[in-house]
Amino acid sequence: MAQWQEVQSLANAYLEQVHQLYAGVALPMVVRQCLATWIEDQNWRQAAEPLSSHARMLFHSLLALLGEQLGSPGLGDEDFMLKHNLRKARRDLQAEFEECPERFANLVANLLQEEQRILRLGQAEGQAGAASAPSAPPESDREQQIQRRLAEFHTALQEAERAFRYLEDLQDAFDFCFKVHYLPGEDRTSDPQYAQQVQALQAKLQILDRQRREVLAQMQQLLGRSETLQDFLQQELGAWQERQQRACLGAPVDTRLHRLETWFTELGQGLFQLLQLLRALGDLRQKVTYERDPLKAETPLLEQRLRELLIYLLKRAFVVEQQPSMPNACKRPLVLRTASKFSARARLLIRLYDRNHHMEAKIHIDRNPPKTKGFRKFNILTSSSKTLLAGDSPQDGLVCDFQYLTLKEQKDSRSGKGSKGASEGPLVVTEELHLITFTLAYAYCGLELELETSTLPFVIISNNNQFSSAWASILWFNMLSCNPKELQFFSTPPPAPWPRLAEVLSWQFESVAERGLSREHLLMLAEKLFGSKPSPESTLTWPKFSKDGASGFSFWAWLDGILGLLQEHLKQLWKDGLILGFVSRKQEKKLLKGKRTGTFLIRFSESILGGVTCTWVEHPENGPPAFRAVVPYTTAELASLALPDIIRDYQLLVEENIPENPLRFLYPDIARDEAFGPYYSQRQEGNPTEQKKYLNRRLIRVSSRQANELWQTEEELVAATENLETLQLQPSGLGTQQPGSVAPLQPGGSGMVHPKGSGTLPVTSGKLGMLQVMAGSPGTLQPGSPAVLQPSSPGTLQVMATSPGMPRPGGSGTLQPGSQGLEAPRPLQVGPGVSEMLQPGIGDLEPQLVLQLVPEGQGPLQVGPGGVGTLHVLPGELGVLQHVGPEEQGTQQVGPGAVEPQLVLQLVPEGQGTLQVGPGDLATLHVLPGELGMLQPVAGDTGMLQQVEAGDTGLLPAVAGAVEPRLVPKGQGMLPPELRDLELLPESPDMQELLQPLVEELEPGSGTLETLEVAELMPDMLEPVDGGLEGLGPELAGSTALLDPCDPFLPQPEDTALPTVSSLFTAAADFPLLHIDANDFQ
Amino acid sequence: MGQRSGRQERSKKLELAVSETMKAEAEVQNNKEAEEPKAEDQRVTSVFGVADLKNGAIGLYNVGQSCCLNSLLQVFLMNRYFTGILRRITVPQCAAQQRRNVPYQMLLLLEEMQCGKRKAVSPIDLACCLSVYRVKMFVQYDAAQLFLTLWNLIMRQMKKAELVAELGNLYTICVQEHLACQKCSSETKRNSSMLTLPLPVLDSSSHVLKTLENCLQYFFHPEELTGRNMCFCEQCGRKTPFLQSMKLVHLPQTLTIHLKRFCYEKSSYIHKLSHYLPFPQDLDFNAVLTENQCQADDKEKAAWQYELFAVVAHSGSTSCGHYCAYIRSLTECKWYCFNDSEVCQVSWDDVKCTYGHSNLHWGETAYLLIYMKKRPQ
Repeated sequence: MAQWQEVQSLANAYLEQVHQLYAGVALPMVVRQCLATWIEDQNWRQAAEPLSSHARMLFHSLLALLGEQLGSPGLGDEDFMLKHNLRKARRDLQAEFEECPERFANLVANLLQEEQRILRLGQAEGQAGAASAPSAPPESDREQQIQRRLAEFHTALQEAERAFRYLEDLQDAFDFCFKVHYLPGEDRTSDPQYAQQVQALQAKLQILDRQRREVLAQMQQLLGRSETLQDFLQQELGAWQERQQRACLGAPVDTRLHRLETWFTELGQGLFQLLQLLRALGDLRQKVTYERDPLKAETPLLEQRLRELLIYLLKRAFVVEQQPSMPNACKRPLVLRTASKFSARARLLIRLYDRNHHMEAKIHIDRNPPKTKGFRKFNILTSSSKTLLAGDSPQDGLVCDFQYLTLKEQKDSRSGKGSKGASEGPLVVTEELHLITFTLAYAYCGLELELETSTLPFVIISNNNQFSSAWASILWFNMLSCNPKELQFFSTPPPAPWPRLAEVLSWQFESVAERGLSREHLLMLAEKLFGSKPSPESTLTWPKFSKDGASGFSFWAWLDGILGLLQEHLKQLWKDGLILGFVSRKQEKKLLKGKRTGTFLIRFSESILGGVTCTWVEHPENGPPAFRAVVPYTTAELASLALPDIIRDYQLLVEENIPENPLRFLYPDIARDEAFGPYYSQRQEGNPTEQKKYLNRRLIRVSSRQANELWQTEEELVAATENLETLQLQPSGLGTQQPGSVAPLQPGGSGMVHPKGSGTLPVTSGKLGMLQVMAGSPGTLQPGSPAVLQPSSPGTLQVMATSPGMPRPGGSGTLQPGSQGLEAPRPLQVGPGVSEMLQPGIGDLEPQLVLQLVPEGQGPLQVGPGGVGTLHVLPGELGVLQHVGPEEQGTQQVGPGAVEPQLVLQLVPEGQGTLQVGPGDLATLHVLPGELGMLQPVAGDTGMLQQVEAGDTGLLPAVAGAVEPRLVPKGQGMLPPELRDLELLPESPDMQELLQPLVEELEPGSGTLETLEVAELMPDMLEPVDGGLEGLGPELAGSTALLDPCDPFLPQPEDTALPTVSSLFTAAADFPLLHIDANDFQ
Repeated sequence: MGQRSGRQERSKKLELAVSETMKAEAEVQNNKEAEEPKAEDQRVTSVFGVADLKNGAIGLYNVGQSCCLNSLLQVFLMNRYFTGILRRITVPQCAAQQRRNVPYQMLLLLEEMQCGKRKAVSPIDLACCLSVYRVKMFVQYDAAQLFLTLWNLIMRQMKKAELVAELGNLYTICVQEHLACQKCSSETKRNSSMLTLPLPVLDSSSHVLKTLENCLQYFFHPEELTGRNMCFCEQCGRKTPFLQSMKLVHLPQTLTIHLKRFCYEKSSYIHKLSHYLPFPQDLDFNAVLTENQCQADDKEKAAWQYELFAVVAHSGSTSCGHYCAYIRSLTECKWYCFNDSEVCQVSWDDVKCTYGHSNLHWGETAYLLIYMKKRPQ
């Protein structure tokens, strides 16, 4: 902005100063205003020099311009006063300065200076005010300095140009006078006029000489300052190069070049401009020169200095922007494989080029190879030169981008083929460093030179299995060497200081899985390496890092194995911090000791390459805590089954016991499913219309332990068959499809239904929801476990149908409890035969039903408005349990009049529905997690099963949503603590209302358990219902809880993972494996 | 760059400067005309003591390859300890003497710089005066050499003994040379004084010395004189190996260090060493020299705290080059760069650029370093 304009925009306090400045001055402000731009463009300071004819010229120009203004039509009548003032000013000026225009020039020069000073003060204050307010992103000090100096440089350059033009004028004037007046041929010494002219000429020459010297001094100054600026830029470039080297190691740093490019280009441009100015000065000397002409001595000096500076700047400005890397290994550049494509890119940060000149860029590999025997030689197969066309990439700058390069080893013709071993150098292939050099024939403004830049050293391999150790070399080099030409680095590789190495190792993890190593991780690694706590002085030698290793592999191989594992399978888990990873066994015990049974952590195996394992703690009743770990999983296993799924499905088979998942809480204390829920794989979405020929299966992992041989864990793959599709309720699949969620109605108590999206209620026969998946190996089914029944209470009996009989599609009715529940014992025994039977049909079973019993007297189930439904199952006393699928329903019966078996059924279909029936004294109603549809009656007094009214059930679902979706026991006897705080939310008064009457109703009948009527229910249940709820018969409705199809907690086909569920079962499609805790049946 | 700011600095004091300097000038005029009583003299001194730089930093026109002279003049005239002495000189009686009197011409130049409103003045009269003493115009000078010449001329032409003493004190470094015979351990000591510390920038085996401190240490490092360098020992009566060492006795207010960047090795071929050699802004000789490299009492040593005052930098090659001066104004504590008539305010970063650069042989490299004793805390 023009100075005068800026002055006018100053704050009042400063404007006042300006007014004062012009108050007593011969130059009226009106003139300053009127000719602002012109006045600012002139060099008044120069004109003010004594003997300068310039002042007079300027003075007269000013008067002339004022005259023009007066006559211009722009000043109409309305500006009468202005015209008057201008006229007066012109007169006054003329009167005052006609005789001594230098004084006028001096006056103006001082005025302008003073204006600048005021302006500076005023702006500084303005900035101080602005700076306190939040401003643009803070630039670093250095950046600001560079910007400021660049701006100053440009201003100074303009000033120098102006001074140069003035010099040109002076010279022209002198030249003219000289040619006209100087006549050396004739002897005119007597002519006084001539003598006077010669004297005047001499004076002019003096002025010219001074101006020349002044311009030179200005350029000296300019060059001095640009050296400082250049130095700043070099420092920034050096910092960038360091950053790039670290980025090659995986460090998260900014390696953009844009800003540097702008700076270099600006400075380069300025320097080239200066060079041209210097040349123009040389031209002036050609026209007029004299004895002791300063241009003669100093111009070459200046030019020399400037050229040197420019060349140095250009050379440094040619950088390798992208180090050679193969496309598929971007995070590990600098390892190249023969015959594989790679790319590399160099850039000239000074974006100046001559459009008429074609610049050729070339690449060379190993221009100056070390003179080592056996050093392999390579050729670049693809074209190694490229013409940098002007205008090729005006936006992108001057880039030599070589893509699709490939290397081929030069076979030494003399040594022949088989002699490779003989010519083997002292270094192994992966320690042999190579360089690619870029050259660019640069020409601009008459400056021609070859620019050259080299990549960082890289390693050339011929086989992928060398990749890991090649990368180790790259790490070591870039970590420890700052001389990129040091190709012999590995002849005596220096040791790495631990702090530096630790940082680099952390970057490896960060670049692979976006999370670096924590302090604890590094501590463990250091202890592994040094056997003790690391000190800042600890160093690791190269062989110890990459070669030796106690366990048959080196430290790096081990670490790289883990990196590979992370990269392929565990990225997300690592990123989210679920993998503790580097934990020594000692540390692991320390961590787990104080945690509850089932707390586990995930760590990397130290004995197996690329292995990950889980360790959990158990606290036996007596004795010290025991720590168990599974044989590490490696890529091979994880490829077939992801780690979260393994953890979810992991089973421990204990003799005499129902398999259980020992992994319950992720260290420090996160419920397993809470921690891993989001990572569980989705069940396959099947096409419901398609008849399935095969059932799907999935793999789970189990370990078994022998009773006698404690904790010998061994791992096997167990295929649990399970038709996953069938578990999804599909509206269309009514009859045939198995609604996983459908809880088969139980005569004894309850049924739960779980309609899926459409609200249809599919019911299937033949496939009852049953538990225990574990199939596959018959052995897994513990003979004892299915015995659900607890005969403890005499006469009453319950059936328990669990595994055995019912699963068979055809094998209906095997269980029959007569009215005499006493029969019960029979089902208890499941012989081996039974389990055999199980097998074929098992696929049909739905694993999610679990029955839980509540012990007799104490039915701790409470339904209370506030804290609902804790369910405690106390081992030992439970009376019964039960459950069934539709198929058996018929057969299953609860004996009438039976004692108070306090039957409670809890269905946990698909994770979401639970249902419990608690007969007996207290009618407990337990509502489990949110999404379920449940229902639950209990029989009390009547000896009949109490049906729930349709109305009730209808309501239930609505409420269900309000219930906190905390969930559920997996079948164990104990509910996890979460369940205990299951509460009805305040918004769910309906629920409470609903429950209240229920409870009341049930109350009276406590103590007696009645038969549950199945018959009534069954038929309806089995009927496929198409139309949704309306279609349900009242009876049906009575015994089932229908879920509102719109219930957000219902699994919808499209949102299998319900985000709202914070606890278990976050993915609706995940069925927790249910097991009945063996303890329950003791 | 920076030029603008330099000029603005100057302009700030524009108005004020005129009146006070004029007054001071008037005093000087009086001074010239008649011998003043001493009291008056003192008063004038105090006025001038603070009057320097009232007019900002003023350039000196190049009057025929006078960049070296200009730089040195700036270093002299920006040093208010020096100008304090200069302003008290006795003015020669007749005009002819005045023209030939270097201190007087310097004073006139100073006055011109102080009172003029222009950005630069021409030292032509002083240059003419110097040419009488064979310091010619249009000749390239070595700054260290010219400094000695100039200083000696000033010293010689000052009439007042007290001023001569003061000037001597201001610049003279005292050292004690020790020469010890290695055979009979007889030792000869000799006190000598020097105006500059001529520091080598390479050690005896032509290795680059890394910092200014290293150069100083190397300079005060005892040297064995053996072989051809052996000296005659009067005790032993024959040539014996000697140990030659130098001990620092006294450091002046204004300490001039000469970096021997021009290398005279290899007979006739002279070349410039432009390698990187950093120097500190603050220099504590007690931290640099060891106990036995000094021969001074504690009081003297306590005062060996210096800060950088000026750098005379050379650019170009031995055959043709250019000098400029970076000077830290003692009143404003700001750095200025003086390139003949061009003056601009700069920063320490610019001064650091004169450390030298092994890849830039034509750039500016520090040649003379002038350190100023810090005020005692």
